[in-house]
Amino acid sequence: MADLKQRSLEEVKGLSVEEAAEIMRQAGIVGAGGGGFPTYFKYMRPLPHLIVNATESEPGYWGDKLLHKEYLEEFLLVFEAMKAIFGFEQISLGVHEKDRGWFAEYQEHSADGVYDVRYVPNTYALGEEKTLVKHSTESRVPRFVDNPDGTRRPGMPPDVGKIVNNTESLLNVYNALFLGKPLTTKFFTVYGAEVDTKVYEVPIGASVSEVLGIAGLDVENSGHLTVLDGGPYLHDMAIAELGKGDAYVRRMTNSLFVIPEGRQGKEYAEIETECPEEGIVSLVGEVSGVNVPLGGGLLTPATPLVSEGDEVEYEQKIGEPVDQGFSVGVWASLGGEISSLENGIVAISGGAIPQEEAEAEAEPSMAGGSQPRGEAEPFQEAGSSGGSK
Amino acid sequence: MAYVITETCIGTKNTACVTACPVDCIYDAGEHFIINPAECIDCSMCMPQCPVEAIYPGDEVPEYLQEYATKAAEFDYSGIAPGVEIN
Repeated sequence: MADLKQRSLEEVKGLSVEEAAEIMRQAGIVGAGGGGFPTYFKYMRPLPHLIVNATESEPGYWGDKLLHKEYLEEFLLVFEAMKAIFGFEQISLGVHEKDRGWFAEYQEHSADGVYDVRYVPNTYALGEEKTLVKHSTESRVPRFVDNPDGTRRPGMPPDVGKIVNNTESLLNVYNALFLGKPLTTKFFTVYGAEVDTKVYEVPIGASVSEVLGIAGLDVENSGHLTVLDGGPYLHDMAIAELGKGDAYVRRMTNSLFVIPEGRQGKEYAEIETECPEEGIVSLVGEVSGVNVPLGGGLLTPATPLVSEGDEVEYEQKIGEPVDQGFSVGVWASLGGEISSLENGIVAISGGAIPQEEAEAEAEPSMAGGSQPRGEAEPFQEAGSSGGSK
Repeated sequence: MAYVITETCIGTKNTACVTACPVDCIYDAGEHFIINPAECIDCSMCMPQCPVEAIYPGDEVPEYLQEYATKAAEFDYSGIAPGVEIN
């Protein structure tokens, strides 16, 4: 049975491929690294080799490293379980050379033979799957392959028997298989201008402005700052001028990167950040409301199980996956009242701050407006002084 | 090991690779685009974008296309800006 419930290691190891994939689907797990590809689909056709991507994909990130540090036992258990369920001949942890010390415990535990650790050059960037395969194995993902219908498509790791999965996605698999816990949160790094580097666990759909307020920014008086959802290289614009408009934490958000308005993310490619001393800070139950998408990206929207005005509990199922395309279960990332259900977004008001206030924050304000701040100073010396290349 | 743009770019010059490149290391070399190997971070984002399959990982360039790798290595990038020239 593919119920979400607590299971022992032996029970998890006894799951069939189909059952385990269905649990991932119901739990709502999608690739947390940025692609958002539904995780269950990767495992429906088992392949010989699982490579877990433990390299941070952008300069300045700490999320994956902290997850590996704080959840060592969980990763060891899920490696063992995945090997049994999916029959992997090999599981490998892909780690940057520079992080050998950080992953020393994983190297020690690999002596048990369940998995190995493979070190890739520090130059490997952006978490790109094909490049990780190239650096960590003898295999080469073909550039392009023929489809049965005669068309061509870019090669993918499964073409050479590899499944590449992101660190956080795999932790979410652990949560679903062992704890019966669905996906309701996202781990990411907050860093950049005027904020201390932090790693948060945040309810999916939380307001970016609210998170940055918790991180210490004076949101309403920060129109000179831009917020990127992503890192210096790859990102989406979250908020062009902080305090005007808002954005929401996505299942693929890996960072909120704050830069002076008018600058480009890639100007900070050399940024170096300090690991946050306090580790991962959870904001579960700490935000006033969430906007949880039923679909989006590659996902066909789930069928809503709730209506406006309903009260929901944290981790209550609010969307049932459909059979069409890729679709996953959707779960409440906050307990509270369904304040709206429009355009495939389930808004839940949790009460810490009235919804009106959250909405008012999201409206463009009259003050602080559109003056360009071309003279904004770079916020980090690392870029200019770090002549390490 | 930088990526290399080869022969089939000539006559095509689709700009999808230029858009995909996160570090702006793809330049207009006249009849084809060219990747500056000193700036390429080996991320592969450009490769699947190319509709004519012109882009190879540096260590997989076929022998008969090696001249493009040599040209990319020796090209003078100093006088041109990355990206697409707007005429």
